[in-house]
Amino acid sequence: MRLPGRVRLSHLLVLGLPLLLIAGLILGPLLITLAISVFEKKGFWISPAFTLDSYRLFLTGVRLEVLERSFRVAFASTAIMLLIAYPIAYVITLRVRAELTRAFLFLFAVPFLVNYIVRTFAWADILSRTGFVNAALIRLGLIDQPLDWLLFSDFAVYLGLVTAYMPFMIFPIWLSLSGVDRRLLEASWMLGEPPLATFRRVTFPLSLPGVFAAAIFGFVGSFGEVAVSLILGGTGYQLLGNAVASALDVLNYPLAAAISTVATGLMLALLIVWYRLFDIRLLLGKIMGRA
Amino acid sequence: MPRAATASRATSALIWAGLGLVLLFLYAPLVPPAIHSFEGAATAGFFRNYAAIFHDERLMRALRTSLAVGLLVALIAPALALLAAEAVRTWRMPRLIIAIMLLPLFVPGISMGLATGLLFQILGIKPSLLTITAVHVLWALPFAFLIVLTVMASFDQVYLEAAYMSGANRVRAFLEVELPQIRQGVVGAAVFSLIISFNETIRTSVVQGGRNTVQTYLWSQYQQVGLSPHLFALMTLIIVITLALIALVALIDWRRRTA
Repeated sequence: MRLPGRVRLSHLLVLGLPLLLIAGLILGPLLITLAISVFEKKGFWISPAFTLDSYRLFLTGVRLEVLERSFRVAFASTAIMLLIAYPIAYVITLRVRAELTRAFLFLFAVPFLVNYIVRTFAWADILSRTGFVNAALIRLGLIDQPLDWLLFSDFAVYLGLVTAYMPFMIFPIWLSLSGVDRRLLEASWMLGEPPLATFRRVTFPLSLPGVFAAAIFGFVGSFGEVAVSLILGGTGYQLLGNAVASALDVLNYPLAAAISTVATGLMLALLIVWYRLFDIRLLLGKIMGRA
Repeated sequence: MPRAATASRATSALIWAGLGLVLLFLYAPLVPPAIHSFEGAATAGFFRNYAAIFHDERLMRALRTSLAVGLLVALIAPALALLAAEAVRTWRMPRLIIAIMLLPLFVPGISMGLATGLLFQILGIKPSLLTITAVHVLWALPFAFLIVLTVMASFDQVYLEAAYMSGANRVRAFLEVELPQIRQGVVGAAVFSLIISFNETIRTSVVQGGRNTVQTYLWSQYQQVGLSPHLFALMTLIIVITLALIALVALIDWRRRTA
């Protein structure tokens, strides 16, 4: 349907301006962060320069440890989250009756919407020396002394990260699984493939767009985490987000910007790879009504 | 084959048990704040810790800020989401528009707070209700956008063409034909945006200046003095309000589906 030029111009203004504003507000700040990361710290503010000092400062001494831990924790927790989210998405897609699908997705979405920091406070309480888990284990006679590794440990941080980010990872995986044409599965069956081979060679490859999107969400979230590590990791347990926060506390903006740029740079790199490999419209096919 | 049937029934039981276990882990954290919020209730009155919330002047101010920001976000985010979804439908670069709209989902909270905070500082914009609102809108936008995309996809565009042929222009056709049909979805997106805004902490804490929202108040109290019974009461209220809003979204969605 061709529209007259006058209408198209007003259209451009009405739709284009807000869109430009949004894009500017999302991308602009990230670019500014990048710029400030190479500026010099001057008093409590910054002065324009081109120096990699902030990156050097970040990549030396104790902060390098933070980067290493962030990578390790983000990798491991993303793997755990995928191992939980994928079967859930799979069951919801292929085992739950169609009219109950929404109810199931909803059930997993509800806790995600309650601020994860509030939920993390609750975990600190449940896992503490006098908390529910230790009390129950002692009552059952399984242990004499409260377990120390439940709180302020890697275990607690993983648990916190999984409950914070995993629920949302179910959705992209469910989206791509539910977009898989069932006839392909039937064809594979008719060609004599056992169920496991069908999964490995048909279902799983076709669900990769959702899996990758979910993985990026969980990975970058855990990588730049602030609250879970602070509440459940205990003193000194820093992830990349904590390093940004502590640089902000001492008003070192270039350093905060440099550390933050490491996280957003990683995120953009992963997203660009995703964008080149997959078509976002295919993943959203169900949402956009093209499935 | 009774053996195979038993095996498949066992697998089935195992699957549902697994789902139940995960749900238990996800819902368990919603309980402890409520238990702690009634600490000391036996001696000093059942709702003592809740009453303490209303005597905390800073917290009441934070509550008003949360409310004002939440309402603004609920108005702005769905409107922008509608425009963006319209642009996806109209222009030949849907992939790019969708990618940009969904980007805030993937930016770590602290990075997004820092980045927008730096932008405001460079532009000379002082921290205010509006800077908090701007960050919340950016954060709520991907969610509102996905909801609006969904409801717009369920709308048959044939109606629009009928409106054009009857002489309506784009704006009028949208306002009088499409909007009434997708209204409930847009309202759903608004409530959803309110939920997202009401439950945001880290992004806000960077751009709020001297102000507090309910969430950043809780967060700063935790970091400065630790949690006290009236903060557990506050958490309980946050959880209850959020669950009530979610129930509202569910109700709206259910009515849209059965209408």
